[in-house]
Amino acid sequence: MTEPVINTITTEVFLARRWKRFALVLGLFAAGVCLFLLLNIVLGSVTIPLGDTVRVIFGGAGSDEAYSAIIWNIRLPRALGAVLGGAALAVSGLLLQVFFRNPIVGPFVLGISSGASFTVALAMLGSYLIGVTVVSSLALSLAAFIGALLVMGVVLMVASKIRDIITLLVIGLMTGYVASALSSFLIAFAQSENVHRFVIWTMGSFSGFRWEEVRLLAIIGIILLIASYLLAKPLNAFLLGEDYARSMGVNVKRFRYMVVFISCALAAIVTAFAGPVAFIGLAVPHLARLSLGTSDNRILIPASILAGAMITSLCDLLARMLFAPVELPVSATTAIFGAPMVIFFLIKGKTTI
Amino acid sequence: MILRTDKLTVGYGKKIVVADINVMLMKGQFVCLLGPNGSGKSTILKTIVHILAPLGGEVYLNEREISRMTNQDMAKTTAVVLTEPISAGLLTAYDVVMLGRYPHTGFMGKPAVKDNEKVIEALKMVNAENIAQRYFSELSDGEKQKTLLARALAQEPQLIVLDEPTSHLDARHRIEVMLILRQLTQEKGVTVIASLHDIDLAMKACDVAILIKDEHILACGTPEDVLKEDLVAELYGMEKATFSGYLGGVELKGNQAGSRIFVVAGAGSGASVYRALTKHGFFIITGVLSENDIDFHIAAAVGATVVKSPAYDVISQNTYADALKLLDGVAQVIDAGFPVGAMNQPNLDLIRWALDKGKTVHTLRSEAEAEALYGANAARLVYSRDFFELMSAVRRVVSTDHNHLSRT
Repeated sequence: MTEPVINTITTEVFLARRWKRFALVLGLFAAGVCLFLLLNIVLGSVTIPLGDTVRVIFGGAGSDEAYSAIIWNIRLPRALGAVLGGAALAVSGLLLQVFFRNPIVGPFVLGISSGASFTVALAMLGSYLIGVTVVSSLALSLAAFIGALLVMGVVLMVASKIRDIITLLVIGLMTGYVASALSSFLIAFAQSENVHRFVIWTMGSFSGFRWEEVRLLAIIGIILLIASYLLAKPLNAFLLGEDYARSMGVNVKRFRYMVVFISCALAAIVTAFAGPVAFIGLAVPHLARLSLGTSDNRILIPASILAGAMITSLCDLLARMLFAPVELPVSATTAIFGAPMVIFFLIKGKTTI
Repeated sequence: MILRTDKLTVGYGKKIVVADINVMLMKGQFVCLLGPNGSGKSTILKTIVHILAPLGGEVYLNEREISRMTNQDMAKTTAVVLTEPISAGLLTAYDVVMLGRYPHTGFMGKPAVKDNEKVIEALKMVNAENIAQRYFSELSDGEKQKTLLARALAQEPQLIVLDEPTSHLDARHRIEVMLILRQLTQEKGVTVIASLHDIDLAMKACDVAILIKDEHILACGTPEDVLKEDLVAELYGMEKATFSGYLGGVELKGNQAGSRIFVVAGAGSGASVYRALTKHGFFIITGVLSENDIDFHIAAAVGATVVKSPAYDVISQNTYADALKLLDGVAQVIDAGFPVGAMNQPNLDLIRWALDKGKTVHTLRSEAEAEALYGANAARLVYSRDFFELMSAVRRVVSTDHNHLSRT
């Protein structure tokens, strides 16, 4: 008779092993971000040799004079836009999933994007209503931000009255539909060239990112990402539900506003610059959670930032390269990547907060 | 004194659930709230931890009014274990317990060495070290409850508030949880207040019982004083069951209109017979039982008609005559197999009399034992080796009677 081997390890060993796994996964994600960022700069209608790319990025001159212009004016801002946008959307989704205690919530599902689309439509197409057609990207971002805030406000107002999560979700969806319907009104009455611009916008794209946009996205985005990281502790308490969080000392009211504001602002700035980008906010937090094997938001937030940046870079690369020279909307690739992933997690019963 | 309420009224919105609550909780006390479903136990508990706002009156925690305290301050004194199921995602039991350190850790919640020690200590206290590394969502209900209890302990509170901590638990975990709470109050001086559904466990583990019914506190005091038969019956509106203070539990009452059967028992031999007969819808007549006999209390609790004799006294002629009169009115008799001594010889006479009268007499004794007691009459006894046989035999007689009646 052999004694059964009982695999018991002390808590210290268990925690150390877990940290090793966290470090490994974060390292892989970071490497992925670097890889796809680099590929996004190297690949395109003109393939730039890796050596030249590195030289140009570090301020040198490439073997071809055009390289410098392509990298600095077109590819680098776009690649950075995808990195920042992906990170922001992923964290926005993560925050909302924990807050609503629902694993299938994302900025897109709750109608935040539809709200943003509506106000952008208003700005782009509503010239006959407000007299001016807005073109500056800053004004568009502001419009998108306000739209996102409106939808979130409705959802939040209901959230304070109704505690049932599904009801809340349905109300978010319905608000989104109303926003979409209002956008359709505007489309019906608008000039066709503006409609074309708007429709292209709604499909989402990181193309045409300019440095001033990247800078703005970087500054606001990074501030918001840091702010969301500071919420990691109460977010963890919220995993046990609002009552437990309160009993552990969370100032629930303040927390509620912080989460809603940050997640909404993160989704809004990306939507403003790149249009609605689907599924990143919904799918990436799950990818991060399952690769790390934890719901600890202190690790999940950095992991979601990296995974969001990695996946979005990859999706943008695919959108550009798959049918080059025709470019796909980025939502097409994110949905093709994200939707099956979410379905797979749902079926496997792996969806959790 | 840890907690005091002053004319506290609790409820939701405008609906008052319980009014005028004035209670005091002392250091190291184990207090339980008892009452029917929907009586407001949870509402009271949620109000004293400030999850719900009071509709009137005040709650004082260490003499500070709780609505003036921040959640952070409250969290350092009070921990909760709620009844709503929680989904902790991919948190391990260790992580859940570590959340209890929330009010003690820094801004980012980074655990110090001391926090880790407290978590391990809390897990040890609830005998849950072995599950620390497993995901909370994969634990059994009992393990989950122990983890949540450890989480509350890790918070190092002076007061732990638990909403139905023993619901959904099996017998072992139920007792384990109660013992842990008992140990906490006695060894660590923590005050515990819990809503419970098990009257017997409450009576055996708690220092103070608060009984809640119909929007007010029905009674409050030491369980031994408060949990009396009539008060418990009133509390739960029990008509078909009786709470017995002696037995420390609930007995189901017999069917008053049921088929009548006479049981001769004593010294605990009747306990299972009474319960089995009650379950099968019989109306029990039993005797003669001394008032110091356990069977006397069980028979009384199941609502049987009992011919009793004063404690430590011999069975008088009058008592025997009363028993005979009742015995005459039934068709079936059960000899529960009671021990025979100097004091209960008349009970043997009751059985001999019934046999002479041609009544069906069931016995749980062996044939040899019966022959020694009843002589030749023993051949007329209906023998049952176990309760399955006894209940089948008893019910067979009843149904033949019915057939006989319907034919004539």
